[in-house]
Amino acid sequence: MKVLTAVHKKIKDLHPHEAIAPGTGLCAGCGGLEGLRMGLKELGDDFLICNAAGCFTLLSVYPFTPLKGSWLYTTMGGPVPAAQGVRDALDIRMRHKGLEEKENLNVIVVAGDGSSNDMGFGPTSAAIHRGLDFIYFCYDNEAYGNTGFQLSAASPYGSATQTTPSTDVHEAGTEMNKKDLFEIWKAQKPVYLATVSPREPIDLSNKFARAKDLKGPRMFICMSPCPTGWGFDPKEAQQIAKLAVDTGIFPVKEYFEGEMVHTVRPRKRLPVEKFLERQKRFRHLFAPHRQDEVIEQIQSRVDDYWRKYD
Amino acid sequence: MWRIRIHGRGGQGIKTASQIIGSAGFYSGFQAQDFPLYGAERRGAPVIAFTRISKDPVLERGPILSPDIILIGDETLLNDPQSAPLCGAEPSTIIFVNSDRTPESLKHNFTVMAINLTDLCIQYLDNHTVYSSALSAVGARLLGIIELPDLLQAVEDELTGVSSKVMKGNLDLARKIFEVIQPAVVSEKVNKPLIAKQLVFPQHRPVIEAAPIILQPGNMALRKTGNWRVERPEIDYEHCNNCLICYARCPDGVIGVDSDGRPEIDYDHCKGCLICAQECPGHFINTVRETGMFP
Repeated sequence: MKVLTAVHKKIKDLHPHEAIAPGTGLCAGCGGLEGLRMGLKELGDDFLICNAAGCFTLLSVYPFTPLKGSWLYTTMGGPVPAAQGVRDALDIRMRHKGLEEKENLNVIVVAGDGSSNDMGFGPTSAAIHRGLDFIYFCYDNEAYGNTGFQLSAASPYGSATQTTPSTDVHEAGTEMNKKDLFEIWKAQKPVYLATVSPREPIDLSNKFARAKDLKGPRMFICMSPCPTGWGFDPKEAQQIAKLAVDTGIFPVKEYFEGEMVHTVRPRKRLPVEKFLERQKRFRHLFAPHRQDEVIEQIQSRVDDYWRKYD
Repeated sequence: MWRIRIHGRGGQGIKTASQIIGSAGFYSGFQAQDFPLYGAERRGAPVIAFTRISKDPVLERGPILSPDIILIGDETLLNDPQSAPLCGAEPSTIIFVNSDRTPESLKHNFTVMAINLTDLCIQYLDNHTVYSSALSAVGARLLGIIELPDLLQAVEDELTGVSSKVMKGNLDLARKIFEVIQPAVVSEKVNKPLIAKQLVFPQHRPVIEAAPIILQPGNMALRKTGNWRVERPEIDYEHCNNCLICYARCPDGVIGVDSDGRPEIDYDHCKGCLICAQECPGHFINTVRETGMFP
């Protein structure tokens, strides 16, 4: 396996450059914005973001943009085809029209879990298949957050969303399991694939630094604690992100040249309850009565996952 | 017909306040209509909600342009061009501001009153600053046509699903405000027929000319989100050891690093999520309540 070097070792090594100006309309304490901010720090200003409709639509509200680079707004299913178009246009202009190499842009797709798992899923698969040279950043807040938190294919079992609340008939709330987007993408063997957490800024930055110079599809899934949808105080966003990693619910990992490595491993996994009990979307599991079998099922899924790697 | 317009920010219970007034009016034997208006933005961004209460069927539709009562849940909005809470106010309009003091600039032209609802909410609602029941109690009381039991019934209806402790806090709060405020003289306006606007036919232009293009990268910083804050983080520089954890953890990137390597908060844009205060390993970031931000 090719040895991947760590560029950053401590917080003070992080790139001082901010590619996102403040003043956006995103919620206070947005975990996804933190992830994108850290990632873009590594990529520099020469980028073009193809943004799928979603929460991050609010990044740029005409006539304002927080980005130092370019931004193209697309439909929920269309960011990857847009990225293909932009990439092709840049390549053709560089090859035939005399566009200088220094004018080249990093083409980045920014999409939420709804776009990534549902509507934009097919085009993304096709783009990985074609080997499109782009970076894909999926901010995963596990539901359609921008429209009021409705069920997406990334909503985890046992969580309440607006369309799957806990009722007498469906006590657990969401009864489907979260789509394992990492494994699905991994099966297509993209050049680089990683999950990142805003709580691990050094790990996150190192992953973007590695992906920056590679060619081909480079995919990121960012755990994005959502104060509004998940139901916790904005100041707890980072603690929730930490608990997601420490309980093993969100594995921080990387896939490169055929090998999958966990880059941050919880030393001793905490019970999943620690993560669940602090969020309103899981409150029905604890009150008015405890739903032990649901909590146990969530725990056993996490245990099953880690058994392979312990 | 009485028309009430409520201004606040996403997450402050503004929409629910308009619903509570509507339901309370309904229980008091009137016809009611309520609805909110907000853009794509959410928690922290300006929100407007409307309630119409009438003895006759409410046939009027759309936003309320000339309100009888304006309730402003967040004093910082007085200065906000997007929210424009005073738009359409007439000399007869009663303006309520959630604040410690009555804005001097308004006193000459309008009937203005102010009560600090934030402190009351903190006291009654276990430190939560959600103004749904407080603002609706203010509106219902100012109108003077809604009875207390009807208001309390409406609070119970609209807040269904909250814990009994939260419900009790809200009911006590509504009762308290009903006591503190006296009904105002709200003259019932004659229904003016709305004048239809002239029809405008859209003109088609090539995308290359007409597509919205922003040519100033990073100009979002012109929009100040600093007035979203309820609490303000303050770094205790005597103890701060410049570890820069706060700088790394701030989602909006409003904590910069000065030339001495010290973290520095940009208060023009800090939304007050307080992640920095929570994450500071030595707890060297204090939180202070924001007050008195209007001009």
